[in-house]
Amino acid sequence: MKTSRLASALLVAYGIAVLAFLYLPLVSVGLASVSKARYLSFPIRRYNTEWYGEALASDTVQGLLWISLKVAGIVTVSSMVIGFLGALAFARYSWRFRKPFQKLILLPIFFPQTVLGLALLMWFNALGIVPSWKTAIVAHLVWIAPIATLIVSIRAFGFDPALEEAARDMGATQWQVLREVTIPLLMPGVVSAGLFAFLLSWGNFPLSLFTTGADSTLPEWLFAKMISGYSPLVPTVGMLTVAGSAGMVAAGLILAWALRRLRPTT
Amino acid sequence: MSDASPILRINALTKTFDDFTALHGIDLDVAEGEFLAIVGPSGSGKTTLIRLLVGMDDPTDGAIWLRDQRIDVIPANRRPTCMVFQSLALFPHRTVGQNIEFPLKLRGVAAKARKDRALELLDLLRLPRDYYAKRIQQCSGGEKQRVALARALAFDPEILFFDEPLSALDYRLRKTLEKELKDLHRRTGKTFIYITHSLEEAMVMSDRIAIMRAGRFEQIAPAEEIYARPVSPFVAEFMGEVNFLPLRAGMVAGAALSSAAQAALAGQGGTLVLRPESLRLNPQAADLTLTGTVAAAYLLGSRMQYRIDSPAGELTVEVLREDAVAGGIGAPVTLGCDLAALHLIAEARDAAA
Amino acid sequence: MRRRERQLGALYALPLSVFLGLTFLAPILLVAGFSMMPEKVFDLAHMPDFSAYRTVLAQGYWKSVAWSLVLAALATLILLAVCWPLAYAMAKVFRRFTLVLTIGVVMTLFVSENIRLFGWVLTLMKGGLIEGYVRHWTGIGFDAPLYNVPVIVFGLVYVYLPFMLFPLAQGISMVPDDARQAAFDLGATRWQILREIELPLAMPGIMVGSLLSFVLAAGAMAESKLLGGRAVITIADEVQTAFTYGQNWPLGSALAMVLIAIIGTLAIWAISKADLDAMMGRKS
Repeated sequence: MKTSRLASALLVAYGIAVLAFLYLPLVSVGLASVSKARYLSFPIRRYNTEWYGEALASDTVQGLLWISLKVAGIVTVSSMVIGFLGALAFARYSWRFRKPFQKLILLPIFFPQTVLGLALLMWFNALGIVPSWKTAIVAHLVWIAPIATLIVSIRAFGFDPALEEAARDMGATQWQVLREVTIPLLMPGVVSAGLFAFLLSWGNFPLSLFTTGADSTLPEWLFAKMISGYSPLVPTVGMLTVAGSAGMVAAGLILAWALRRLRPTT
Repeated sequence: MSDASPILRINALTKTFDDFTALHGIDLDVAEGEFLAIVGPSGSGKTTLIRLLVGMDDPTDGAIWLRDQRIDVIPANRRPTCMVFQSLALFPHRTVGQNIEFPLKLRGVAAKARKDRALELLDLLRLPRDYYAKRIQQCSGGEKQRVALARALAFDPEILFFDEPLSALDYRLRKTLEKELKDLHRRTGKTFIYITHSLEEAMVMSDRIAIMRAGRFEQIAPAEEIYARPVSPFVAEFMGEVNFLPLRAGMVAGAALSSAAQAALAGQGGTLVLRPESLRLNPQAADLTLTGTVAAAYLLGSRMQYRIDSPAGELTVEVLREDAVAGGIGAPVTLGCDLAALHLIAEARDAAA
Repeated sequence: MRRRERQLGALYALPLSVFLGLTFLAPILLVAGFSMMPEKVFDLAHMPDFSAYRTVLAQGYWKSVAWSLVLAALATLILLAVCWPLAYAMAKVFRRFTLVLTIGVVMTLFVSENIRLFGWVLTLMKGGLIEGYVRHWTGIGFDAPLYNVPVIVFGLVYVYLPFMLFPLAQGISMVPDDARQAAFDLGATRWQILREIELPLAMPGIMVGSLLSFVLAAGAMAESKLLGGRAVITIADEVQTAFTYGQNWPLGSALAMVLIAIIGTLAIWAISKADLDAMMGRKS
């Protein structure tokens, strides 16, 4: 009944093949970004990084980076706060409308993002709001805040309610319970929710497409360029956004590691 | 056990995991229709052994024979044996009836015949017939136990293995089911091999007990024999409360021996095993006599247990309540026992303790 | 204790509930309202006449709906077959490698979907990574397998793989090892264990994974645009066209309502059946 060595080896090979399948297109983009030729053709004959220099020097790309960063940064902070509170209602407390609340939160995650973006565009228009990068933050949050809530909830589900009760029993006020027990225990979940929020906002395209108005994020600009024909800047800027995500993940891992070192008990 | 050829024969069975040896080339014969309990503390190798016997794992070396067929090379699903799991492993998505019929369905038995067999098994296990359509989640702990037994019996396996199926139940239910299981064994006449860490369970049910320790059998014998004549201090202690007295050149330090005892033990060395209930308080005459004071007293229902400080060390004594000592903690007492109650474990075996 | 829990729960749920009410439910109601307006108007101050829905029926938009659903169904079936062995291994066979796979797969989600699909164009195009090197080494070139229907399904399988893989692995991990071993001991073959024990017991995971993949794929458009060269126009693409080039908000809204109705029915049905507390392991 146990899996034979051969079967295990085959399954590991299959897992590696699936990972390779998932990363192969990024390899192509990476190689294309360091090709010297203006019109890409494999195998690449001459490599250089001049397109990176050009991209980073370009005012357009700098503007895009700044807008993407602002949107992702504000989305991250907002989802951490909303997700923390939402998770307590989602997972921790028993209250009357908990089940409907749980279901309401799942709906935006399932919803087709293109349609959601268009619906929000009409809604902003009806309210007389001119779309800009600020409305894009709202659009991102409709999708990302529920995801952040789910991530914090996983932590909150494993939370022993007796801990809060014990703190109250020892005379803590509601606010002290929150500060001394609830927040520290849920912190790892809130941090990973923030990391997810940043990364999902940074890479989002369909929601940004209709809700940024005259502004543009990196994925939007990339899509416009992809549709209108090949430019050597597309793989280069694409790799820059991938590098941004990778840097964020690395920062998150280092933060998690540092937190564990600082507080060995948690 | 020697009159008929065994139904199960284990020959030099060895199992190693990386650098750890769980079974050291063990041998065992089991007679047809026997109820054998394999008892040992956790880590003694009993779980490894049963996994090899049912075919969940492959042995590193050695062989398992079912009559004249070598079965260790056959995968579990084609062996004519069956196991009742510790968790029972009833399928939660199937009804009681579907669970019992499962092995028959796998063997292509027609629906009508399957149902007849399932109902017959419900009768055998003394479950009402309308349980056939019940969901597993609706059954109580004891009922689930019976369903698991019915399912294991459904395809009429040659041997039934049990992996501590009672260990998760509360005390009273366990006691009831122990007796039911023994009764079922008698009524079906099947060979039962039962793994447990509880010696009490083993003694109630089994014909023979095999005591395991560190991947080997320490002693294989009927319960009374293991209790009265343990081959090692390990077995003696495993069988319940016991006192050990070191015997050096026929003498026990701090104790007086009668002339009969002196003659019997002359020149011998080792460890004397003394059960708490074979020691008497303030006896008229005894072959071995000790003096001491009461250090603690506990009421065990119909019996009293005492801890006695004596020159030979702390001893445990159990007597009927009407024989309780007058006075209390600190009262001086004399302890004694007969020669027949003394069991000597000779020097060589003693070393293992 | 109980009363305070009730109050706190409602209090903490408030920010997210109000936010989603204003930015999710309200816009959907607005879309529903616009879908009933006469065509090509830009406000709701008109008599509802459902003409947009008539246009949806009359102008062959059902083909886009059908294509979206067929492509999504195909992608879901392929994903089930592709992900089952890996999900099984992640849940039951691998130890450390499960973590490596989880991190590796989740990381791809953080790279914009259109960059990854663009990467496939660079990989599969004539003179791309595959054809370029094959021609370089063997001298034999071939046409790019792009701009057709199979490559759209391929793209959907690629993009939505994580949404099938993780629920499936979660579902399989809920199959008790003892149940599988007991079935084996009772005489079941590997195939019988799969059919009688593993599939039924992993069904919650199978349902969640399939629904997620199907719903997301049915609302997709980037795959057909970037890889498929619009060999097929999906319903999401039609919605976008109606809003942008067509400047026909009621038509776009009506098309969106069709998509919302299909996806919403499936999603609400699935969500209403799921017990999230049990799935996520709530204590007490």
